[in-house]
Amino acid sequence: MSSRAGSGLKGSALYKKTDGVFSITDDRKSIIWTPSQPPDAAPAITIAITNISNLQQTPETNPKVILKIFEKPPGGTEATPAITHLFHFNSPKAPREEANAIKEVLSCLLVGLKANDPSVSKVNGHLPVSKAPGALQFASSDGWYEDSQLKADFDLQRDLMIRNPFLKQTYDEFRKLKSDGLSLTQFNSQFWSTRTNMLRAHAVEFNQKKGSYNVLSEVKPIGDSVTINREQIQLVFSQHPLVKQVYDENVPKLNEVLFWERFFLSRLYKKLKGNRITESDTTDPTFDRYLNQSDDDRSLRRRQEETQIPHFIDLEGNEENQGGTKSGNRKDWTMRPNSTTKVPIIRSLNSVSERIMANVAPSDIDPANPIGMSEKEFNELTLRDLQAASNETRIELNIKEQSLIQSRHKSSVSEEARFYAAKVPSDVLHDLSDDVMNGIGGGLQSAIGFIDDSNSEDEDKLPHVGSKSSIAEAQEHLIQGVKARGKEIAVARGNTDSKTMQAGLSNGIFESLTLSHATTTEFLNQFWLLFLSGDADRAGELSKTVESLDRAMERINAVAAAAEKERQEVIEQQRQEIRAHYQRTQKRLAWNANTIKGGEKTVMEMMDPIIKTLRKALTDYKEAFAAQNLEAPGS
Amino acid sequence: MDGVDGTDRQEGKQDGPTPSLLFIILDTNPHAWALLQNTLPFSKAIANILVFINAHLAVNNANQVAVIASHSQRSVWLYPRPPSDPQHGDDSDTGMDDENKTDTSNLSDASKYRPFALIENSLLHSLRKLIKTTTEADIKATTSTQMAGALTMALSYINKATIAFLDTGAAAKPTPTALDSSDKAVGLQSRILVVSVSGDLAYQYIPIMNSTFAAQRLRVPMDILKLAGDTVFLQQAAFTTRAVYLQLKNLQGVLQYLMMAFLPDQLARKHLVVPTQEVVDFRAACFCHRSVVDVGFVCSICLSIFCTPPEGAICLTCETQLALGDYGNKPAVIPKKKKKKKRALDGGSSRATPAPEAA
Repeated sequence: MSSRAGSGLKGSALYKKTDGVFSITDDRKSIIWTPSQPPDAAPAITIAITNISNLQQTPETNPKVILKIFEKPPGGTEATPAITHLFHFNSPKAPREEANAIKEVLSCLLVGLKANDPSVSKVNGHLPVSKAPGALQFASSDGWYEDSQLKADFDLQRDLMIRNPFLKQTYDEFRKLKSDGLSLTQFNSQFWSTRTNMLRAHAVEFNQKKGSYNVLSEVKPIGDSVTINREQIQLVFSQHPLVKQVYDENVPKLNEVLFWERFFLSRLYKKLKGNRITESDTTDPTFDRYLNQSDDDRSLRRRQEETQIPHFIDLEGNEENQGGTKSGNRKDWTMRPNSTTKVPIIRSLNSVSERIMANVAPSDIDPANPIGMSEKEFNELTLRDLQAASNETRIELNIKEQSLIQSRHKSSVSEEARFYAAKVPSDVLHDLSDDVMNGIGGGLQSAIGFIDDSNSEDEDKLPHVGSKSSIAEAQEHLIQGVKARGKEIAVARGNTDSKTMQAGLSNGIFESLTLSHATTTEFLNQFWLLFLSGDADRAGELSKTVESLDRAMERINAVAAAAEKERQEVIEQQRQEIRAHYQRTQKRLAWNANTIKGGEKTVMEMMDPIIKTLRKALTDYKEAFAAQNLEAPGS
Repeated sequence: MDGVDGTDRQEGKQDGPTPSLLFIILDTNPHAWALLQNTLPFSKAIANILVFINAHLAVNNANQVAVIASHSQRSVWLYPRPPSDPQHGDDSDTGMDDENKTDTSNLSDASKYRPFALIENSLLHSLRKLIKTTTEADIKATTSTQMAGALTMALSYINKATIAFLDTGAAAKPTPTALDSSDKAVGLQSRILVVSVSGDLAYQYIPIMNSTFAAQRLRVPMDILKLAGDTVFLQQAAFTTRAVYLQLKNLQGVLQYLMMAFLPDQLARKHLVVPTQEVVDFRAACFCHRSVVDVGFVCSICLSIFCTPPEGAICLTCETQLALGDYGNKPAVIPKKKKKKKRALDGGSSRATPAPEAA
């Protein structure tokens, strides 16, 4: 987390025609601007955030990125005019993103200040800045993280790539192959523009913290020895105050290692964990003394009382009122207070989770809310089925009859329909009825045309329905289908080895093929994004991408050539073996070069779909190019 | 006689092989069949299908069969005949006398198993009647076939047959629900076989897909035997219902295809590798022009598909005002000279005089 600190909150900015760096200090109390010359210059301008009265920024459409900061003069009253500072963000990479990030943070801080929040270090009331300063800019947007912010957050991207090696591989490969005219910034934004969903998921994941867990169930004694680390001991103490008490009272007398070893064998451990204690469990006087003490320490008890449990789910209260086990809850043994001995596991799990939750500061509760039951809790506890049906909040859709839609649009006539329409109806009908009336007169046997003892050679001259040759062909077709389907089923069940999947290509070739496929897909993705955007400003970028597509084709060809070379080597090797065999034994081995799989043909078969898409992209581009050249001959 | 004995034993024990219902939808599009005249005449195709039906009935004598014709303007029952159309009734159709002669001669053939003869007789009779009643105007009016209607009729018949089977034959058996997830074979095993010759069914896209999904829920495979044309939606139907789709390579070997690929019922298919085509065309038809689209627009509210953005970006089905992204802009491949110059100027000037633009 700390690696991300602050770096998103810096930007090179021009101030009074001098180059420098604009940044927000780490404590978020002030902004500073440092001139870049000399290299170790002291900050020339420092504005305390409390003194900023207003912010202005040039609109997104303006190519110039200028942030205007209004500073209250120190000690000045409302009447004295504010001092204005103009920072012109001129970073060569992404001035707009830098400025936006800074402005976001600044306006957040200002809002925090204006709300008279005593701790400036909190934004939206729950994200401590000291822990995740980089995450600040996300939290400031409304719930979902903005695409533009995600795309500009280089640290987030780097972090994601570290966790996803395949993505990094794609990125590196793609970057290596990008055309030289494409700047790194352009490349980055292109690359990530199709992956904002991944970035967003990562950012969300990043901002989540892992809570503590039920530590006793995690520590597993192996035989007599137990490995427990310091952190786990801390957790045991906080989750089970009783253990802390036992530890306090016994440890100087008892060796610490020995204490833990004996604890994990004791009945007390089983009890705390919620296991049933059996007769066969070893006894240990040191720990057994505490067996009858409840782990529900007083503080928890007090806290429970404080939280004002609604009466109708208060089991102990119900018991007092002669309800509970005597009437309604009689059958349900989980709904009785103090039945620790009966269902220890439920009890102990409940109390552990309760204690874990008690130690976590709630992140979803506004501390400003009145103490007691929140509206959400109230809603959860109400017995909904006793209430009147609520109004439905559906959005009505007015679906129109499909036939109405169709009638309004003239349906296009298919080729087949046109072909049929050209026929003479009377001929068609006559032929058909003639056939139906007289076709099966001689019975089925003759109609299906299968002659049992016919010679297939005779039939070949005059194929007819049910001839041996046609039946053989049909059978061949079906068996091919069965084979293909069988292979498919085997693949689906994972029964095939990688050899068949790779169709004879070596691992190296297959890998480079996979990689070049991935990068080509990437280029195609970018191409269509640019091509269909219709943005003339990005036409330069587009032509660069087209160059990349051209090269993608070359790369596929190169892989194919390499595969072919490999195949030829294998063939050559086998030839030599056969020659050697022949010289040794004077026997020829039957061998056919076609049995060696792989090579250019396989590569081309595998890449066929992507080659087609490449061709389509390039053709479309050329057509559009030619058309626009005609329109604007001057260019 | 053996067959009759077998039936009694099975019914007594209730544990014989589960009977299956084969529902054949015969695409009788006259245009398409006229085109196939030289390779696979209609009559020969019917004869092959009749042999296939006989084979199906011979597998288990509790097996049932139903045949429907998906004709150019309507769907017509071929077998069993609707009650309103008695087989040897007082039909005053002029052609009836001739037919009845052949029919009776067929039925009295001692060397033929009577149930086979009955079906053959009935089916041919209905088919001849159907062709006779087809007018030139019918053929002229449409070049396609009523596949969606036929599928709907098939599904409702299958539903009825399943219920009837449970009521009479096997009252003790648990009622299978449509969404029953267990694969245990209960009740009647029904399947549909579509013998299709028409290609162009795009205008029936929605009803066909609806019946496909109904069949999927009822676990009724929709086998497709494609003699001519290529229909995207029937491919999808076979895929969705885990059935067999076969586009024949050799029409004259049609019997071989029928026997090898379509004879086993669902229960048998679980133990077999069924030939089917590997590649399924998953394209959809747009709602506005009923043409099959590669790239289309989908309403985000009601999921209607359009080949081009509807007028004013208002969905035709649900009338929701939709927003279009910048998709569909005319691609700009040549940078605008003027703009470029301006940008260059901007870059130069902004460094020099940042102040005046700031406000």
